[in-house]
Amino acid sequence: MSSYIEEFESKVKPKDYYDRLYDELVRLNPRLNAFNALIKPDKNGIPLSVKDNICVKGIEATASSKILKGYIPPFNATVVERVLKTKRFSIIGKTNMDEFGFGSFGINCEKPAKNPLDEERVAGGSSSGAAIATALLKYHVAIAESTGGSISAPAAFCGVVGFTPTYSVISRYGLIDYANSLDKIGFMARSADDIRVMLDITKGKDNRDPTSTDSKIVGLHHKKLVIIDELIDKVDEKIRSQFFEFVEKLKNLGYTVKNINLNEIDLSIPAYYLIAMAEASTNLAKFTGFKYGFKLNDFSKNYNEFFAEAREEFGTEAKRRVILGTFIRSASVKDKYYSKSLIIRKELIDKLSKVLKDAFLISPTMPIMPPKISEANSMSPVQNYATDILTIPPNLCGLPHISFPYSYSNGLPLSAQIVGSQFNDYGVISFVSEWEKNFEYKFKYNIGEI
Amino acid sequence: MEDKEFDRLLKISRIKLSEEEKQRIQNDIEGILRYFDSVDKFNEAKIKPAFHPIRIEGHPRGDKIEKFEDKDSLLSNTKTYRGFIIGPRI
Repeated sequence: MSSYIEEFESKVKPKDYYDRLYDELVRLNPRLNAFNALIKPDKNGIPLSVKDNICVKGIEATASSKILKGYIPPFNATVVERVLKTKRFSIIGKTNMDEFGFGSFGINCEKPAKNPLDEERVAGGSSSGAAIATALLKYHVAIAESTGGSISAPAAFCGVVGFTPTYSVISRYGLIDYANSLDKIGFMARSADDIRVMLDITKGKDNRDPTSTDSKIVGLHHKKLVIIDELIDKVDEKIRSQFFEFVEKLKNLGYTVKNINLNEIDLSIPAYYLIAMAEASTNLAKFTGFKYGFKLNDFSKNYNEFFAEAREEFGTEAKRRVILGTFIRSASVKDKYYSKSLIIRKELIDKLSKVLKDAFLISPTMPIMPPKISEANSMSPVQNYATDILTIPPNLCGLPHISFPYSYSNGLPLSAQIVGSQFNDYGVISFVSEWEKNFEYKFKYNIGEI
Repeated sequence: MEDKEFDRLLKISRIKLSEEEKQRIQNDIEGILRYFDSVDKFNEAKIKPAFHPIRIEGHPRGDKIEKFEDKDSLLSNTKTYRGFIIGPRI
């Protein structure tokens, strides 16, 4: 498959196309919890979903948090603005997610997301709804967002393509921040070519986001692949053996593979979570019960009581991260935790940049198959964070990466992740385009097929 | 983490917890901090910290007044009195 977007645009749509699409999603949504809001599109464009932490003018944006219930943004995020300006897309809804992006399984929210391939299992997080929508709809693109793996993880568990760009390539203006130095807006689709279309439309400097850049994005398609042994050691045995079969196929397609050691990679999880929690605790300070959504009415209380009462609306993981983030920023431990994590990030960027000069990193996307929702609920926070080991290094270092299915086991996808050097975004997309010439993805649902 | 220290954190982060929640989260935080302690073993004083993954030039926006055209929808997310946002007492 090359581009579903182009195929959709070339077809004559039945008159009631969008009504039927909407009705089908309204029917399925209570079962899967993919969307926080469904919108009946009034235009003739490609169905587009937007993660619920990205602002669309006039449509409620909650980031799946009770504290943002009722917040109606009076503006579009830059990414939304740029996509709508093409007049090629129609927004069909806002997608479910872990509250503020705090989770890897899509269950830290009011309505836990379910994997459409096995509804007892998680869809992955935090962009759970984006992945479910992509798995359901034949013609559709999702605007998603990743901080530590929130695009790759759900894309892998739901069997779709998930792309996270180099940090700064797509403007974050209009994103409800989780961690400013880690957040990246990206996409999910059913083909790499559709991802390329979205990157073409949305990349580039935006004066409203001072961290966005106009750096030249390249498309170096390396034939050398690097495997980091410390990462592969943490992958489930069954996934590892299937992954090595995939690597053999790649060798037959002309790729060379090199194994390396990188001891510091084990520090990427604590370093990532320390930075992310420190930044999250400052970002969430603005949710205080008199602006942005949920409101208290008793203005006779002093502001400390008022804020603390309003913030009872946060879910458990959000409270945990605010408390930890506040602690990490304390003067007494800042050097031990926060400053050290920034140094580890620099060390990893330097080391990985050298490796990626003439190669891509390759690994499975997730170290485990999608767990059952009950299993995920019983994991401790540390066990939970450890499942991000393969997606955190590229996110911590702002490297472009893409997840895609390479095989299937008992109806569930097995997905791999390709990581490129900073600004080689088109390179990682091109790798997956090539793979798609040799492999056909399987989709259980094709809603909206024409 | 001592109970006193945990209570101080709750106060400054303006988070109220039920007793059950407090016990559970305090316990979780102990485990998480033990896990995080590993970063302190990394010892490379010569490396400069990376505040962002890429080099950000960081030009601030010009200090110019811009008119937000849709003032009413902006204020619709707050409670207002004569065009002012109502907040709690200081």
